[in-house]
Amino acid sequence: MKHTVNLAALTLSAAFILPGVAANAQDLRVTVWTGSDAHLAMLNGIADGFVAENPGTTVTFETIPFSEYTRGLTLQLAGGNPPDVGWLLESDAPTFVSAGVLADIGPALRGDASYDYADFAEPAMGLWVDGEAVYGVPFSTSPFMLYYNATAFAEAGLPTPNELATDGNWTWDSLRSSAATLSDGTNGFWGFEGKDGQGYDSRILHAMMPLIRAYGGDAWTDGQCGFTSAESVAAMEMYHAMIFEDGSVVPPGEIGDFFAGDAAMTINQISRVTRLAEADFDWGIAPLPAGPAGQADVIGQAALVVFEQGENRDLATALIAHMTSSVGVETMAEFFPPARSSVLASDVFTQGNPVIAPEQMMLVRAAIENGIVLPAHQNYPQIFAAMRPRVDALWQADADVSAVMASVCDAIAGDL
Amino acid sequence: MISPDTKSATARKTRAPLLTLRRREAMEAWLFLSPTVIGFVVFFLGPLIAVFGYSLTEWNLLTQRATWVGLENYTDALGNNPDFWPVLSNSLIFAVGLVPMNMALALCLALSLSRPAFGNVFFRVVFFAPVVTSAVAWAIVWKFLLQGEAGAVNQMLATVGIDGPNWLREPDWAMFAVIFTRVIKMVGLNMILYIAALQSVPRDYEAAAVLEGASRWQIFKWIIWPLLAPTTLVIMVVTTIGSLKIFDHIFLMTGGGPENGTLVLAFYVYQQAFEFFDVGYASALAVIMFVVILALTLLQVALRNRNAS
Repeated sequence: MKHTVNLAALTLSAAFILPGVAANAQDLRVTVWTGSDAHLAMLNGIADGFVAENPGTTVTFETIPFSEYTRGLTLQLAGGNPPDVGWLLESDAPTFVSAGVLADIGPALRGDASYDYADFAEPAMGLWVDGEAVYGVPFSTSPFMLYYNATAFAEAGLPTPNELATDGNWTWDSLRSSAATLSDGTNGFWGFEGKDGQGYDSRILHAMMPLIRAYGGDAWTDGQCGFTSAESVAAMEMYHAMIFEDGSVVPPGEIGDFFAGDAAMTINQISRVTRLAEADFDWGIAPLPAGPAGQADVIGQAALVVFEQGENRDLATALIAHMTSSVGVETMAEFFPPARSSVLASDVFTQGNPVIAPEQMMLVRAAIENGIVLPAHQNYPQIFAAMRPRVDALWQADADVSAVMASVCDAIAGDL
Repeated sequence: MISPDTKSATARKTRAPLLTLRRREAMEAWLFLSPTVIGFVVFFLGPLIAVFGYSLTEWNLLTQRATWVGLENYTDALGNNPDFWPVLSNSLIFAVGLVPMNMALALCLALSLSRPAFGNVFFRVVFFAPVVTSAVAWAIVWKFLLQGEAGAVNQMLATVGIDGPNWLREPDWAMFAVIFTRVIKMVGLNMILYIAALQSVPRDYEAAAVLEGASRWQIFKWIIWPLLAPTTLVIMVVTTIGSLKIFDHIFLMTGGGPENGTLVLAFYVYQQAFEFFDVGYASALAVIMFVVILALTLLQVALRNRNAS
């Protein structure tokens, strides 16, 4: 009997005390959306260095799939189980900052002379800074680049986008012309694919912004909707014609993946290059084509943030400082283009990717230096939900592009 | 005169046991029931009551700030929200399209497969298999099959000269496509229920009707169908409730699009709570959905009872 009582007491003690022990040991949990083995191996390698400097600490990377990331993260916060550190997309930055759920890590970063906070370009920090407060450090400032299937271009006897760019002829018109020539929809091969095949639904802004900005338009600026501008409408009329007149874009409702060899070109970020490891075709990376308004690079950004609710905020901040130090950023630059000016300017960046040639990494560098981050807004979830069904109307053969763009502006005006 | 001591001793002798047999049995019953009752209270009744409470607040999931707003969420949803009625209408269209199609097909399959015959077990398995298939796998396969020009469905239609629509991208066809694929997925369940009911119909009734010269249609109409009535009511109620609560299928197939053409109430509740973080408003919508489903269920039962009487 006594033995049973002791066992029960021990069990109860373990149940109540062990979580406390675990908390004291300062296990840091970092939520990420990548499931790539290569990405996780790199992140764990960086974290190993932090653990070595902070004995007794552990760092665990927890993958939440991209499509569920914001929701999953929010539920963890609402459930009182916040991660210590998390990745956050540029589109979510204003919402999370205004909600007050992110910790200000500015004093710690600025106070560490060896960290060299000033090395981060001011435009790159724009979304993550509010006055003196710093709510995140971008680990990826990834420009949209044009991936192309060099084998398909060679077989068609067409100049590649890079050759056209060298000659100064790489424009959306020449992309349209190449896509139309390369397209053979009846055999399941198209000239162009929207970002990750999701350009008609969850990534409509990713699909639209490179084109709209190249034409001189924008999504919204200073609370004013920009989709109805003549430039934005002209851009989308061109894209609509590519889909429904030329038949050169993987159309809505079809599945055609550039990385599987189903399309000759796509616009994506360099982190997707891991998907080309086993491609059975030659490929290349080119700058985005220029439009009537010239070259307009678009950047997708993601940052490391510390959550206000977290119990280990100081240690979590130290982890971010470690990961985004010059050494950490140099390591991550293989997949995630840096916002640190010194790393961006160094050969480490251009020569650090084993898959992408240095001359093509130079193009990535130029795009980062000149690019503008994707649109973001405090009411982004509401804006996106309001515009998405209106934009759906654009993906019909008989769509009145101008009217659709006007309906988009009507729908989001209240949230802007 | 009896001394107090003697009285006390007598009382001790005659006092009822602390727990009577009846009480002891009741206590044992409650102990056995307690896991279920506790589970019901904690995981169903509690959240249900909490949803009513949340619906009277403006509660942001992200900021965790809640403000009492009374019935404002309800008045806004019913009176000011331009999306609410189209969304409710989509839910009703989905239910009205799915329930009859599902039940009719389930009954036809059950009538064909209820009697012992060569291959019937195989076909029952074939029709029931989608029920236990992962919803995600089902959606992925059907999204491939229902692609615009490259989809297998449209390529088959093209062989007979029909130019099929872009099923999941055209507002006029997307709702039909999600209803049809849902029916194919879930019809096996109702088929099994109907087969069970058909196998319990006494053969004597049928044999007597045959002797009287009744046709197969007359046997079905006057004997089998009335005897299937209780099962039909259960199937209709359960299928209606399921169709009004549909979420996963829409989420996976269309995401509520195109042009909100398949945006149903359960998905809209989800959107409010987990995309806009507005838990209070989502709770009010969930309560409205609960009331709509309850009203339709009671209506079905009442109509059935009236017909039966």
